Amino acid sequence: MRKRVISFVVLLVALSIVLIELFPIMVVIVNGFKRDIDIWSKNPFYFKPTLRSYQLIFTHREFPRSLRNSFVVASLSALVSVSLGSMAAYGLSRFNFKFNDALIFILLMVRMIPQISLAVPFYMIFRSIGLNDNVLGLSLAHISFNLPYVVALLLPFFSSIPREYEEAAKVDGCKTFQIFLKIFFPLASAGIVVAAVFAFLMSWNEFIYALVLTGTRAKTAPIVVNAFLGQYAPLWGQLSAAGTIMLLPVFAVTLSLQRYIIRGLSAGGIKG
Amino acid sequence: MRKWLICLAVLLTLTLMAATVRVLLWDDALTQALREGLPEFEKKTGIKVELELVPSGTLLQKTLISVTAERSDYDLIAVDEPNIPLVAPLLLPFAQWPETKFYTRPSMADIMPLALEAGQWKGEFKGLPVNANVYIWLTRKDIIEKYKDEFKKEYGYEMRVPKTLQELLDMAKFLSKKGIYGWAPFTKPTEGATCEAIWMFESFGTKVLQVTDKGYNVVLDKQKAIEAINFYRELLKYAPPGALDYGHAERVAAFSRGEVFSMFNWPALVPDIENPEKSLVAGNVVYTEPPAGPAKAAAVRGCWIVAIPLAAKEKTAAAEFAYWWMSVETGRKLIPKGLTPARESLLKDPAYSKERPWFLGIYQSMKYAVERPRFERYPEVSQVIRNNWLDAVSGRVSPEVAVDRMVEEINAVLKKYGY
Amino acid sequence: MQSSRSMVIDPKKRGRFLAPFFVFVLPALIVVGAILAYPVIYALAISLTDRELLYLGKTNFIGLRNYSEMIRDRNFWHSLSLQLGFIAIAIPIQLVIGLFVAILFNREFPFSKILRSLLMLPVFVLPVLSGLTWRLMLQPSYGVLASFFNSISLGPIAWLADTRYAYVAILLQDIWRMWPFMFMIIYAGLSSMPSEYVEAATIDGANFFQRFWYVVLPYLKSVIATAFLLRMIDALRIFSEVYVMTYGGPSNATMLLSLYIHKQAFEFGRLSYAASVAVFLLIVALFISYFVVKRGLRGEIE
Repeated sequence: MRKRVISFVVLLVALSIVLIELFPIMVVIVNGFKRDIDIWSKNPFYFKPTLRSYQLIFTHREFPRSLRNSFVVASLSALVSVSLGSMAAYGLSRFNFKFNDALIFILLMVRMIPQISLAVPFYMIFRSIGLNDNVLGLSLAHISFNLPYVVALLLPFFSSIPREYEEAAKVDGCKTFQIFLKIFFPLASAGIVVAAVFAFLMSWNEFIYALVLTGTRAKTAPIVVNAFLGQYAPLWGQLSAAGTIMLLPVFAVTLSLQRYIIRGLSAGGIKG
Repeated sequence: MRKWLICLAVLLTLTLMAATVRVLLWDDALTQALREGLPEFEKKTGIKVELELVPSGTLLQKTLISVTAERSDYDLIAVDEPNIPLVAPLLLPFAQWPETKFYTRPSMADIMPLALEAGQWKGEFKGLPVNANVYIWLTRKDIIEKYKDEFKKEYGYEMRVPKTLQELLDMAKFLSKKGIYGWAPFTKPTEGATCEAIWMFESFGTKVLQVTDKGYNVVLDKQKAIEAINFYRELLKYAPPGALDYGHAERVAAFSRGEVFSMFNWPALVPDIENPEKSLVAGNVVYTEPPAGPAKAAAVRGCWIVAIPLAAKEKTAAAEFAYWWMSVETGRKLIPKGLTPARESLLKDPAYSKERPWFLGIYQSMKYAVERPRFERYPEVSQVIRNNWLDAVSGRVSPEVAVDRMVEEINAVLKKYGY
Repeated sequence: MQSSRSMVIDPKKRGRFLAPFFVFVLPALIVVGAILAYPVIYALAISLTDRELLYLGKTNFIGLRNYSEMIRDRNFWHSLSLQLGFIAIAIPIQLVIGLFVAILFNREFPFSKILRSLLMLPVFVLPVLSGLTWRLMLQPSYGVLASFFNSISLGPIAWLADTRYAYVAILLQDIWRMWPFMFMIIYAGLSSMPSEYVEAATIDGANFFQRFWYVVLPYLKSVIATAFLLRMIDALRIFSEVYVMTYGGPSNATMLLSLYIHKQAFEFGRLSYAASVAVFLLIVALFISYFVVKRGLRGEIE
């Protein structure tokens, strides 16, 4: 009984935190349904709802297609980054060579270089090998910053998983890669989920590479939405509506991956 | 057999003739309206058009990455007027644009001379202005109607669209007692603030930078600049709260909600003000040139220029597209879709003056057009001007100090680049 | 329960471990290396040239001139201090909030899955939109937040027009936006923690705070360190949110180094100068990260 009361109290506290935190998001969502004139009114809650902004963005010549492009690029770059990245993080955390630290450093530091500096040479290479204005090309560019990120993110998670399970499996005669895939991966699921979500997100919202490396065909959503900023004043309604739509896929990905976060593992529970 | 050969020959010639012109423009209602006219263009000329629209804040960077002296990924590009000096070395001079078959070069007489100058650098025209973009002045005629008698009693002259800055100040003072803000500035630290500074400086009779054969001279008259700053600060007293951080979003919102009596705006923002769904003042606005300062009336100009890069592959096709864009028929077809023309004849055309009263305002204003300093390194100079201007009008720094710093820093920039 | 999570490779047995190590690590290294080799070398090397965004055909080698200009630029140092201040204030606060909320969510309660995902929305929202919404909310006449702050304290503040409040505003925006990021990572860390650790401590008679301080926190050390590092790397490159709120003003009060670099590269077209500032930033980040990595990144279980 006590447990239920505590659960309920925790739920209330959590709910209030979420509500407060989400207030600006609610402003964004609501603005998508307001006429521009109401967005700047003193009373944010009274307004005449309208679907005009949504109508405009869905009939926009480029927005729906750009969403598709963004989805392809984000999924591809997240998939590759998480697969290769988790393997690398596993290797780096389990086989401790002296140069491991240096490798990790280089991976992280490379991510520190401002994208505009990297965008120019990227453009030049991609252009010469024909990867410009191409979903594959943009995915590769995104992998270049997602992969190091995933490795850095996963290292602490992997390192803090006790080795008994793998050692037991080795005793049973499993090969290293099998151990990695069947034993380790499920144990590290929480970290991997987080890494996947963030890799997807970084790619989804990314602007500069998308600006420089795409043209009419591979244009992604952030570029189109940026145009709603207007040369002068933003088109608030459309901006908010498009921004809200852009939230949905990432939210969906997060929600669906949440069930893979297995909590509170206990030793002795080795599956399979 | 012969029929097949003829077909093949025709097909071959057609494919050889079917050029593709790649156009890079900024993204807004005007350029989006162009898309509607593309099928007609493609049918008439056989040229396929690949139109790429990019957010205007990032257009210059994308252009510079994609266009160099040696290669160009685009055949026709749009350049914002202040960037012409920078980009000039990459562009084919207008005089050398190729001869075209389908559309003719627009008559220079029909394009307002001061708009043409936007595309000029060191004596050469580098491209065509595709929109007549210039400060226009907005005034609420319903407010004039409502208070004109009272105003006349107090100030002794008819309330009307302010012809001088002093009149604007008088009316602003009067209206502040009625709970109306007389005027709204632009004070965000971006290009818009530089425009305000130039507008005021020119209205009070001074330029900032002058191009000479040997280089550049800072010609800012300190006395006049200080007068301009002080007047602006006076006006600021009658601006809405938060006016020291007013960007387009804020001022258009304030004006659309009916809180501001009179202010400048760029033509691209005007359609929203005349849209009853977005504005409470639709139909109540008069469009004119800005009020005159002690020296003259000044309207800051900001035209977009379309130009052909030297390294472009399809120069003829690009010229065709540009001429098509500028043609009167295209203008007529696309104005209802959001195009703002650069041609005098279209701007003055009475067919548009009822639904688009600001066209006449643009025409009026363009006569008083002034330009921002022409310099290859314009952005750095613009930053100096705007930072010191904003420091002065916000009261962080005294006008004298601000003006001194402005001159000093511009000279430093000139020195840095070897002038 | 004693296990060192990493075995130090015995030099004699090295060869046996080298092969599997390469199998796991090499693909990632090859992919990143292949894609980034040229761009990274290019980006770093151009700091020694006069390369501009406008390319007229020739690039000249000018040695360390960009660096000396940078050191003599007052604005550079100003921006650097703003940026370091930003990191020093925002990130610890985000960490603390994220930690507390993660602990709160660590129990099972109904709807926790969906609430967790909802909490991440600020991290997901497009940065430009976040900045613009804050700008809207802080507007003196119409802003919801402005009137709220108005009602609880001092007179009307024109937030983004004031040199001090603008800086506070961008800090608030970032803290609001990114503490769920910390939350998510720490929560995942907590989830991976084998429950025996806490159970053992409870059996030993530890109360909640003792359990937290002596068992949970050390376990989380490496996760927290990573979260800090990753957040710092991104905070050093923050751009859109701040730009769209203040454009670096008023009077350069919010001209963080990341905005300074962007302005130099994008607005002024001085690619090489921006690159030299970026190299400097890289070195600063390297120093900070060195300590974080050495002390906590790969963690140990006691």
